[in-house]
Amino acid sequence: MQSESRKYEEEETPSLHWGLDPVFFAFARLYIKDIKEMRESKQVPGIFFYNRHPVRQVDVVGIVVQRKERDAFYSYGVDDSTGVINCVCWKNPMVTEQSSSGRPSTPNSLTVLEQIKKLQEMVSQKTKLEIGDVVRVRGHIRTYRQQREIQASCFYKVDDPVCNVQISRMLELPCLYREVYDKPFQGPEEGQSGLEGQTFSINVLHQKVESFLLENKIQTFYQQELETIDTLMSLVVVHLPTPDCQESKSTCSSKRIHSVFQQAIRMLQEKGVVFQKPGSSKELYHVTDNDKELLKVTLDVIKKDCRKPRHAENGCHFLHILNCVRQSHNPSLTEVVMHRVLELLERNSDVVSTMEGYYMTF
Amino acid sequence: MLPSAGVYYFPWEINSSVPEGEALRTFGRLCCYDLARSEAVLTAHHSSAQYQVCVDTKFVEPFQAQVGSCYMVLGEAEHREGEGPVVKARILTCVEGLNMPLLEQAIQEQRKYQRERRRRW
Repeated sequence: MQSESRKYEEEETPSLHWGLDPVFFAFARLYIKDIKEMRESKQVPGIFFYNRHPVRQVDVVGIVVQRKERDAFYSYGVDDSTGVINCVCWKNPMVTEQSSSGRPSTPNSLTVLEQIKKLQEMVSQKTKLEIGDVVRVRGHIRTYRQQREIQASCFYKVDDPVCNVQISRMLELPCLYREVYDKPFQGPEEGQSGLEGQTFSINVLHQKVESFLLENKIQTFYQQELETIDTLMSLVVVHLPTPDCQESKSTCSSKRIHSVFQQAIRMLQEKGVVFQKPGSSKELYHVTDNDKELLKVTLDVIKKDCRKPRHAENGCHFLHILNCVRQSHNPSLTEVVMHRVLELLERNSDVVSTMEGYYMTF
Repeated sequence: MLPSAGVYYFPWEINSSVPEGEALRTFGRLCCYDLARSEAVLTAHHSSAQYQVCVDTKFVEPFQAQVGSCYMVLGEAEHREGEGPVVKARILTCVEGLNMPLLEQAIQEQRKYQRERRRRW
């Protein structure tokens, strides 16, 4: 963190570009430790930078470890196991004011009033916090007496008797960090150079190849064939502005193009969109969704085995189906391809998932 | 002044190597509670061994001790002469029904990410 913030000390993203970063508009779900260590913007106080992402609002879940009451607000110390931060939670004026207002007489408004009363009770229950309670707080960050704190715009007690909420957040945050916060935000003019440009182009390319294969109902293809499709090629050339390929397509090194396509295809293989068969040519790729035979074999396996008494009630398990299809059709079939096939069959209502991982037909 | 963050420790990691005064949180089944001495013991199994965590309950009393139930404790480690470390509980919550393997996995995931990040930066 230290070296990272030092690296970007001078070059803060200009505020004009902040709006291009989705993190800016979101309640960033950061570790409390990071909230306390983020660097504050020099341009606009109250905005903070995590890895060049401008952060305006945060969302935390933690245990209340300290509680101080003031006239208008409570200050709760919230601990998420990485850090502790003060959260300023304003007392709800609605609860105290409304109760003293006049009483309407019609029966209709009476029920409304009852509803409101119930709602107020619920609100006060959910916002009355004790030490040891689990709380979720959303709000913006400010610095008060050299201490960072969260000014809550929304906070409530989380009913978490067996820690499920806390556990799922602990499992979720590392993914969120890897996928979003740790990927640096690229301003508009710096996005298309060097390595960043290349990963960007592979990402876009693999999506375009996927939709190309599906739209045109292609069953099998060779990589060289993809490299003759203009719409795909133009994408690669635009996003690979290396010095030797700025002038025209023909001068762009074919090796690089080849490797970019190869990586895009590998991504599609990892997603199970395309796969290779041991029997056929080494460079031939099959498109999962358009492989009618594979779909049929899978469906037949499920149909046949669902008639057996041991599978009749719950259907067949994923691994069982995978095994059968491997034995009868393609021994090197990967799990991810099998998942995709089953998803497709399910989408077409050919099979039904009875519970996590089990499939059956009717 | 805010207290330090209660870092997750597995019950089998609570031994003499835990720094004195370290804020930590851990979990286990309540196996006994001595009201007179304000002392509770949590137990947990890990790779076919049983581990015990001593908890000082002075700050969280009175509490409904349900022996056999799962508890989460947050507090500071204290080394006392002639015994293993004791966790001076600030918070002691009954979390009976807790999915311990899942919590273990979540803690491992969190640590893995933090390790990864330290290596990167």
